[in-house]
Amino acid sequence: MTTIELQQTLPEVFAGRDGIVSDVWHRQTVFQKGKKYLVEAASGTGKSSLCSYIYGYRRDYQGIISFDGENIRKFSVARWVDLRKRSLGMLFQELRLFDELTAWENVQLKNRLTGFRSRKRVKEWFEELGIADKWDQKTGRMSFGQQQRVAFVRTLCQPLDFILLDEPVSHLDDGNARVMARILTEEAAEQGAGIIVTSIGKHLPLDYDRVMKL
Amino acid sequence: MVWKLLRQHLSVAQLAGFALANLCGMVIVLMSVQFYKDVLPVFTQGDSFMKKDYVIVSKRVSTLGSVMGRSGAFSRAEVAELEEQPFTESVGAFTPARFRVSAGMGLQGMQLSTALFFESVPDAFVDTGLDGWTFRPGQEEIPIVLPRNYLNLYNFGFAQSRSLPQLSEGVMGMMKLDIRMSGKGQTGRMKGRIVGFSDRLNTILVPQAFMDWANAAYGDRKEEGPSRLIVEVNNPADDRIAKYLKEKGYDTEGDKLDAGKTTWFLKTVVGIVLAVGLVISVLSFYILMLSIYLLLQKNTRKLESLLLMGYSPARVARPYQTLTVVLNAAVLAAGLLVVSLVRAGYLDVLGRLFPQMKGGDMTMAVATGIVLFLAVSVLNVLAVRRKVGLIWEGKA
Repeated sequence: MTTIELQQTLPEVFAGRDGIVSDVWHRQTVFQKGKKYLVEAASGTGKSSLCSYIYGYRRDYQGIISFDGENIRKFSVARWVDLRKRSLGMLFQELRLFDELTAWENVQLKNRLTGFRSRKRVKEWFEELGIADKWDQKTGRMSFGQQQRVAFVRTLCQPLDFILLDEPVSHLDDGNARVMARILTEEAAEQGAGIIVTSIGKHLPLDYDRVMKL
Repeated sequence: MVWKLLRQHLSVAQLAGFALANLCGMVIVLMSVQFYKDVLPVFTQGDSFMKKDYVIVSKRVSTLGSVMGRSGAFSRAEVAELEEQPFTESVGAFTPARFRVSAGMGLQGMQLSTALFFESVPDAFVDTGLDGWTFRPGQEEIPIVLPRNYLNLYNFGFAQSRSLPQLSEGVMGMMKLDIRMSGKGQTGRMKGRIVGFSDRLNTILVPQAFMDWANAAYGDRKEEGPSRLIVEVNNPADDRIAKYLKEKGYDTEGDKLDAGKTTWFLKTVVGIVLAVGLVISVLSFYILMLSIYLLLQKNTRKLESLLLMGYSPARVARPYQTLTVVLNAAVLAAGLLVVSLVRAGYLDVLGRLFPQMKGGDMTMAVATGIVLFLAVSVLNVLAVRRKVGLIWEGKA
């Protein structure tokens, strides 16, 4: 997959609203593989909605979203499952970790599905992100910032054409945000993946190709 | 790992409740099916060589009829009318011998001899599988079927009072009778071989072919209409039969109609029990479904996360499907075990009540159990899949 295209896309809840000023909604927008995008948004402008539309778990929008020119509304369940395993990664704002599993088990749950990363590699990232000591700890007992880093590592455990990060650094200090940015840049460069980051305040410090206002 | 995640909120009590309820339903269903299968032969067992559903009809012998010398034979019109009845499949006439017969046999040097009579029915009413039920002119031996109560009469009456040995059916089968036939001024001797005993035919039966030949050779009395008819009916439990016979003043022999009633009664009782068992099974199925739904509901968020991580709905549904199928299989196994234990118990009692009963097997119960298991499992699997599908759609 090399492009994600939004044509006149608008969340259905915004349909009645006049004068929408946005770089994304109700426009022709294209995300290219290999580039880095920042989508800045005020609260309530549909940032998480955008992610859920592209990731295929909500369809309450007007207009068309297409991957490589193919309307994603027509994708089958199997196609989505395959995309989420091999092409499209997502770091959820609410993380969606499993509290009753340890940090490593959480990562493993994804990695077993894809078989993409070695345990060693995961361990290295844990160390770089300063959560190596949380390896065997249940994520339910961790702070949100720590959980964000675990979820981030989990997102990297798959082949990527695009990676969506919904407010990835909301609870991180600048040091950890920089480490995360570095790892993300390296991995994206290696796979030629496109990065789409959303933010309502604090930005993941990346060298963005385009910054859009939602 | 997925299982570790999803087995949380699993309620052992609920599943145990289901297993117990389903076990009850399963046992009742299997038990009734098996019991029916085991007990039915006791009521319907016929003479092995006769077709099952027939009645023997004769005219009632009345005092007035005897005095007036009225014939006890059926006229052609009466036979035709009987043939036209809706319950009738076919009608056959008993052909009586029109010559004199006597039979003798040697027993411990003592010669017994008695005057006899022969009758025959068309071969279509006799199971052709019966060994040696054939006769060709020139044949030395005549196959004969005797009423079983003749044997009983001998064994329990005659033999005991004269301190003669009792004879089993097998021994009787090996004995040869000396048959003497006379008529038209001729006398013939043949051997008779007893090939079977009948509970319901109160006559000494020989093959139709023999009868035709012997009547032609020795018959010196004039031919009369048949005094007894054998009627094959499609359902002996049909109450129209009894009504018709009563109306015409005919008699039936044997307890065939009673057996029909008993069978019908047995069927009804088993049917009711079966229905109760099925209802319990259906209810227990609902308990399992509710329990699984509740489990899925409690785990909705987790399932959603797994689906979003790239787990397929089929993969996510599998642990629940496996759980239900394993539970159902365990219930099936336990059900069959219980049935086989209970069956061993009642077979013992039945065996004592009806010694002639042959032991069947549990094929019926096993087959029914497997069908029930498959039906319930398939429904469970589909229901879980549907529920996970709803979670995928975000509608759960």
